[in-house]
Amino acid sequence: MGDAVRVGIIGSGPAGLAAACRAAELGIPHLLLEAEAHLAHTIFRYQKGKHVMAEPGVLPLRASIPFEAGKREAILEAWNARVAQLGVNVRYRANVTAIHGSKGNFTIVIADGSTVRAEYVVLAIGVQGNIRKLGCEGEDLEFVQYQLDDPDAYQNETIVVVGAGDAAIENAVALAARNKVTIVNRRDEFDRAKDGNNALILKAIEDGKLACVYNATVASVRPTPGAAKPGAVILNTAQGEAVIPVDRVIARLGATPPREFVERCGVMFPGKDPGAVPAVSPQYESNVPGLYIIGALAGFPLIKQAMNQGYEVVEFIEGRRPEPADAPLLKAKFARIPGFRSIDATLERIRARIPILSPLTPLQLREFLLDSEIRTPQPGEIIFRRNDYSNSFFSILDGSVEIAIDPVDDTRTLTLGSGQFFGEMSLISGRRRSATVRAGAGCVLIETPRRSMNKLIASVPSVKRVLDETFLLRAIQAHIAPGIDADALKDVVASATVRRFKAGETVFREGDAPGGLHLIRKGSVTVSRIIGGREVVLAYVPAGQYVGEMALLSDTPRTATVRAAVATETIELEGGAFKALLATRPELRARLEETYRQRVMANVNATAAAGSGSLVQFLMAQGLGEATDVLLIDESLCVRCDHCEKACADTHGGISRLDREAGPTVHNLHVPTSCRHCEHPHCMKDCPPDAIHRSPSGEVFISDACIGCGNCVRNCPYGVIQMGAPQPHRPSLWRWLLFGGEEPGAHTPVHDPSAPKKAVKCDMCKDLPGGPACVRACPTGAALRVSPERFIRIIQGSA
Amino acid sequence: MRTAAPSKRIDEPIHSGFLQYAGYRWAKLAILLCALSIAAYLWHDPVDGPNGGTWLGYTLGTLGAVLILWLTWLGVRKRRYHSRLGSVKGWTSAHVYLGLALVVIATLHCGFQFGWNIHTAAYALMMAVIASGLYGVVVYTRLPSAITRLRDGSQREAWIDEVFELNAQAIRIADLLGPEVHRKIVRSAENIRIGGGLRAQLYGPKTPKTAADADAGITEFLTERLDAVKARLTKGFDPNATAQNTVMFMAGQLVAAGKDEKEAQRLQQLLDVLSRRNALIARINRDIALHARLQVWLLIHVPLSFGLLAALVAHIVSVFFYW
Ligand SMILES: Cc1cc2nc3c(=O)[nH]c(=O)nc-3n(C[C@H](O)[C@H](O)[C@H](O)COP(=O)(O)OP(=O)(O)OC[C@H]3O[C@@H](n4cnc5c(N)ncnc54)[C@H](O)[C@@H]3O)c2cc1C
Repeated sequence: MGDAVRVGIIGSGPAGLAAACRAAELGIPHLLLEAEAHLAHTIFRYQKGKHVMAEPGVLPLRASIPFEAGKREAILEAWNARVAQLGVNVRYRANVTAIHGSKGNFTIVIADGSTVRAEYVVLAIGVQGNIRKLGCEGEDLEFVQYQLDDPDAYQNETIVVVGAGDAAIENAVALAARNKVTIVNRRDEFDRAKDGNNALILKAIEDGKLACVYNATVASVRPTPGAAKPGAVILNTAQGEAVIPVDRVIARLGATPPREFVERCGVMFPGKDPGAVPAVSPQYESNVPGLYIIGALAGFPLIKQAMNQGYEVVEFIEGRRPEPADAPLLKAKFARIPGFRSIDATLERIRARIPILSPLTPLQLREFLLDSEIRTPQPGEIIFRRNDYSNSFFSILDGSVEIAIDPVDDTRTLTLGSGQFFGEMSLISGRRRSATVRAGAGCVLIETPRRSMNKLIASVPSVKRVLDETFLLRAIQAHIAPGIDADALKDVVASATVRRFKAGETVFREGDAPGGLHLIRKGSVTVSRIIGGREVVLAYVPAGQYVGEMALLSDTPRTATVRAAVATETIELEGGAFKALLATRPELRARLEETYRQRVMANVNATAAAGSGSLVQFLMAQGLGEATDVLLIDESLCVRCDHCEKACADTHGGISRLDREAGPTVHNLHVPTSCRHCEHPHCMKDCPPDAIHRSPSGEVFISDACIGCGNCVRNCPYGVIQMGAPQPHRPSLWRWLLFGGEEPGAHTPVHDPSAPKKAVKCDMCKDLPGGPACVRACPTGAALRVSPERFIRIIQGSA
Repeated sequence: MRTAAPSKRIDEPIHSGFLQYAGYRWAKLAILLCALSIAAYLWHDPVDGPNGGTWLGYTLGTLGAVLILWLTWLGVRKRRYHSRLGSVKGWTSAHVYLGLALVVIATLHCGFQFGWNIHTAAYALMMAVIASGLYGVVVYTRLPSAITRLRDGSQREAWIDEVFELNAQAIRIADLLGPEVHRKIVRSAENIRIGGGLRAQLYGPKTPKTAADADAGITEFLTERLDAVKARLTKGFDPNATAQNTVMFMAGQLVAAGKDEKEAQRLQQLLDVLSRRNALIARINRDIALHARLQVWLLIHVPLSFGLLAALVAHIVSVFFYW
């Protein structure tokens, strides 16, 4: 039988490690179980020499183990030394597969069959999940690897890459430059990968740069001593067994998310959303008493946070209540609230006052407030303006705000009071603010950034429900039925359903029986008709507007086909309830008819503009349906001087964020590889330090808080983010003109491998007065930055 | 531009080329400048005939000199990527139209007095700069679309990669057709030339001597083979055809191999691969030539401009100090 300890700690990342060190320091019997052969596998896997950052800078570190920003190697070394010094009990290669029992008597089951008994369990396995191995004989052989740091390290080898995702494709293509590569795909397509990677691999296969075996699985891997190659891969293919002698096997099969394992331990997740994190108490205790969850798994994505929790959790288990490390931060925030007494009292007041926040666990509320700002604007002060691009969320703690809902008449306002919230429209739709908001008297607001809000929506079902319902009502009031109060809209709102469409999916088809009206809540759609036997795109309708109003005005079949341009959500209002409302409100009917009439006219114009339809279709295929601002190049004017790239590099530390030549072209219109500033930026999805933001004028940019993890690079479907170390010094124009040497914008930054790399992308030169340098530097006017709406109007009008 | 909703503000169309910039603002200004100069010139009637020394002559001369300096400044402005002084597009537009206006202004400045001296030399240089610039405008309006058409949605790197791939394929097939064919194909692959110096970029690369020898070798070989297969030919065959030698050689092989299905097939394949490769090479060189032509006029325009600046200084200095 296995050991018995007081605290069993699973996972030796920053969180588990800090917990184990604290336990060792206090002399508590403990055991740290780590699946790999070394400590902190996530950090161990960082690229060699990576500069690890200690965000958030304001948070103090409290742990029995050191951590400060620096090289990966230095940090790991310091941790190993400290673990040895404190005499921490670590068991390596101990992959925990199950936890049974209850507080005071847990049994931890390890993959090799052994068990450990523990009174308390701390689960700190992070979110990286377990790397999926080949799952066959030979999966752990020396020449089989599951990671690739530097493709250039291998030359003249025969390599089999297994997998069909982005990592497998990127590795295979990079290796193919100097090695003989075969990629093994379990299926007959690469459609799980990003479009760019899909095209990349198909082209590489077609060009014969690498071989591909489709519909094949790895049956086994064998060492072949004495043979020319160290090993061989045996494949099961549709044609039978195939043997490939290899120098190396690289399997990139992704990771199994830890959720399933955690659920098997009895821990509940609040929702199905993959972003959901298990709910824990302020002492990090899960719904299973005695089982504690800390670190990234509990929703805290940074090293310092994880380490603090590791320290605290041991204190909690020992029955102590140390003041949380973030207390001074919260105190500083709350001090702005008039009448502030204590942190706990304020937390309670917020929970009691603001209904949408009341279902949060105390820890969630704390985290929510740490991410948020308290604002106390003067009466009359503008919180945000209509058409601003901000997307934070506001809850009203005290006082009130005035919302100017009518774009024409500024005096028509709506008042929201204590306990209510606003800002959910832009949060959900990703579009500009639809109204201007001014502070009333005695106003105290809690402003929460988009990411924290999205985390909450994913983790607390009631928050999602309330926000969805409110969005629905307010969207109907704002876009369809202005001036009609909530009561009169009750039936319409009740009839509404949220519908989701994948990119390219049909919302309804020309000739379909009349159905409801679709208010686009997120994404965008195209409207097309069959003209002369061909489908011609007539219009592009972004979020915030609606389609299908005709069906509500008359009972004729659909007159056009509507398709989602990108992943889209609509609110479908069922015809019956809406018609009943229209019958009692003639002004509403007139308004709808006017929209309809305008659209018919616009469509006539668009139809006349021959050829523009295919252009619109092309642009939609390039992802412009979710863009807010895109760089286009009119190739009939482009003299290929590359001043756009040079201007970008010169104004951004020597790294051009655009690639003029790359990207598709149709009818002289070229879409270079450059950021589109998406409505719902994919890059923001998974940024540990929340460093990617949208400025009020719309630019999506990366702040200095970037830790260089590269998640955004992987998440961007358009391949416009790169990792780089910007150069502080700029070459002098006069020196170059007079003496030659480094040309401004054209120089390649000196490659300093020790310079910390960060993610860089287009910020539309938001810090430069005068607008994007690429456009301003174009000598012929070929480069232009436009919103898709504006651009489509132009091509339909003048094509 | 027809739009569904009429916008209240009439702003510049966001998309227009440098020639149309701001509704031809600079073209209009240039015409106005020319008109004023001509009017003044006609109205002004100095005793000793129009020349650079009258008050009008000085005025026009000063205007011209200032314009020349400012026009040269475009080279600086267009690389000052942080500058907010107008857009480079606006500057280019002004550069073109005001540059053209110089023709009128400078001619009137000198009052049609030409001679073998530094003054006329400066004038001639200026006209050469303007002429090269004008050629640049023509190139800038014509070639960009030509490149796009040639590219047809593809990219030069992709073509070059394909050429490498086709070469490898050709060598693989040639290997099956015996050592002699193989050797010739390898040689022909080695002789591929893409781009090169400026001349090669503009007019296509020259075949080096060794390649010419190899080609001669192929021709010789080809003639021999042709003689051997002539008997079996039903149709006439022009032995003097000068089309691509390699292709001709393959054509000979193709006929001779009639008895062997497989070999004929391979020969056909090789022919296809070679012709595709040669077409691609031609395309790449054409693409390089187009790009080179977009830039090459600057190699005349810019040095001439510096020459003009020097001549201008000499002209002014000699007028004020030695006259
Ligand atoms: C590329 C990259 C760069 C980053 N850069 C930074 C940075 O510069 N600064 C920063 O603050 N944060 C950074 N982060 C985030 C940071 O790595 C995480 O927040 C942190 O590692 C989370 O710590 P953790 O202890 O919760 O989990 P992890 O560090 O993920 O540790 C989990 C450990 O548990 C082990 N484990 C998993 N399952 C089992 C099991 N069943 N049985 C036993 N052991 C198991 C794993 O092997 C691993 O060692 C980065 C993340 C990535 C991916």
